Amino acid sequence: MSVRPDARSRRQLALMLTPYLVGLVGLVLLPALVTLGLAFTEYDLLRPPTWVGLDNLTALTDDPIFRVALVNSLVFALVAVPLRVLVALGLALLLHRRALGVGSARGAALLPTAVPEIAYGLLWLWLFNPLYGPINQLLRTGGENGLTVLGRTPPQWLTDPTDARAAIILMSLFTMGETFVVLLAARRSLPRDVYEMAALEDATGWDVFRRITLPLMAPVLALLAVRDVVASLHFTFVPAFVVTDGGPPPYSTTYLSLFVYQTGFEYLRYGYAAAATLVMILLTVAAVVVQWRLFRRYRGFYRL
Amino acid sequence: MSGPDPGGLVLDGVSAAYRGTPVLHEVDLTVDRGELLVVLGPSGAGKSTVLRVVAGLEPVTGGRVRIAGRDVTGSRPGRRNVSMVFQSYALFPHLSVAENIAFGLEVRDVPRRTARERARAAAESVGCAALLDRRPGQLSGGERQRVALARALVREPDVFLLDEPLSNLDLALRVEMRAELRALHDRLGATMVHVTHDQTEALVLADRIAVLRDGRVEQVGTPDEIWRTPATRFVARFVGSPAMNLLPADGPVRPRGDSPPGALVTDTGRLEIGFRPEAVTLDAADGAPATVDRVEVVGEDAYAYLTLAGGEPVVARVPAVRRPHRDDSVRVGVRWADTHVFHAATGLRYRP
Repeated sequence: MSVRPDARSRRQLALMLTPYLVGLVGLVLLPALVTLGLAFTEYDLLRPPTWVGLDNLTALTDDPIFRVALVNSLVFALVAVPLRVLVALGLALLLHRRALGVGSARGAALLPTAVPEIAYGLLWLWLFNPLYGPINQLLRTGGENGLTVLGRTPPQWLTDPTDARAAIILMSLFTMGETFVVLLAARRSLPRDVYEMAALEDATGWDVFRRITLPLMAPVLALLAVRDVVASLHFTFVPAFVVTDGGPPPYSTTYLSLFVYQTGFEYLRYGYAAAATLVMILLTVAAVVVQWRLFRRYRGFYRL
Repeated sequence: MSGPDPGGLVLDGVSAAYRGTPVLHEVDLTVDRGELLVVLGPSGAGKSTVLRVVAGLEPVTGGRVRIAGRDVTGSRPGRRNVSMVFQSYALFPHLSVAENIAFGLEVRDVPRRTARERARAAAESVGCAALLDRRPGQLSGGERQRVALARALVREPDVFLLDEPLSNLDLALRVEMRAELRALHDRLGATMVHVTHDQTEALVLADRIAVLRDGRVEQVGTPDEIWRTPATRFVARFVGSPAMNLLPADGPVRPRGDSPPGALVTDTGRLEIGFRPEAVTLDAADGAPATVDRVEVVGEDAYAYLTLAGGEPVVARVPAVRRPHRDDSVRVGVRWADTHVFHAATGLRYRP
């Protein structure tokens, strides 16, 4: 159905695309290619890179820290991505109707995403404080001797390995604002008469969700899940950097992104970091391809 | 057919509002069991609101709704045992035709196999059994229409509500589906309320027609009554195409034959006479002089658009072979027997 542009509009198109293409090539593609090249060298930013072939990649397979970072990242993606999408979906379904206070509630749901990342991290550093932080204060209410109601020790958020990983996931749950907005729009675009039809058939809320809302929103959910998996490699960086600094030992919250950063910029092993980046990219591509195939059946649903 | 039938549908002084604006004003309607009532009116008259109030999709601000003898005024839609065919059909795009039809049964926990069998039976009765495995996106407008019908009748509801179900179909298909719908109604003996703005559809389909205007019922009657004795000027003009001619009763056209009882200009106010285009003759010796503005030929018929000497427009339907031509002078005649008389101020019918 596409119309072949004539010569003049093609020139205009080219002109308008130029700034973007210059940026894309100069700031993204070239550095990416350089990184690809550096992955096969040893480079400390001081001396010129020297070619080492596949040494960096083989070294990665034996690197216990890299392996920990890889597992941390995978676990994070497996747990945080579904949770984030679920939280966003829940909020979108709660807040899609017009009602008193819905506007403010939507704003509140969006707000954490709008806070600058470093500030957001520092905020959580205070929230997570095991002794004075509001989270543990809350968990201790009703309990005795600094224990929870159930007599358990409240989480040692930033010093216990498991609790720290949970803390990073908890932090990520509140930054699902974009996902929330997209799902809100998706829900609001669903035809009203289909829901009225369901009401006439006396379908329960659960039936409506399971048989109508979920399948109709599945294509959007699938797309957001794919996006979130890719993004999860990024949004682990700042929390791990600001709040936990990759700890507590042994590297409990060192994710691939932080691993690359520390290797490159703190230990000046640029070639090695580039090799890790390469692995990260390959993993991302693999994840996207797998999900795209899983969700293929959802394409074409919108043809009414 | 007199008196409310407890098996049908009763609207008793029903009022409704949309965002604070009144849409229905104390509507009284009775649909007997097995009757097909067509709600006819222009857009914005509140036709769809009548259906939505019956279905429970819209709350009433006054009055009661009774279905099959039960007062359902406050009941939620699923508890009213009504089926609705939406103008858009409202098919579930992600479900197959079979799943669409069986939806209402499955959410009511009818066993899956029974539900599928009944869905197939319903599909067969409206001629879409061959489509059971398709999805709505793969169907034509007419096929979707059939699926929506099958979905409405699979559950054997007390009342069928049809919201302009034929309006998205092309003319030929509309005529075909109209006949099928009527046949289906007669076969099922179903109580149906059918909303449309198409007067032909109403006249062809209905047992009775309720003409709605600005949220009020103007007239309820058989198609014959609506056509022959329109209760108001609005009904007279809305039903019939081209619309009925309307002139002041003491105006240029003096109908022939026995004049109606009573004086033409009464102390209750001025009167208007209405006559349909087919009642007009163009060669009456004592007729009112008029000139022909334009002529439309529609097969055997021709519509002549005339202007009387005083500037009043009149439309005449004449056989195409005897049609006048543009700028011809004609003499407009009509017989008293073919006229309708209305109060100019109220628009109400003046004589029986």
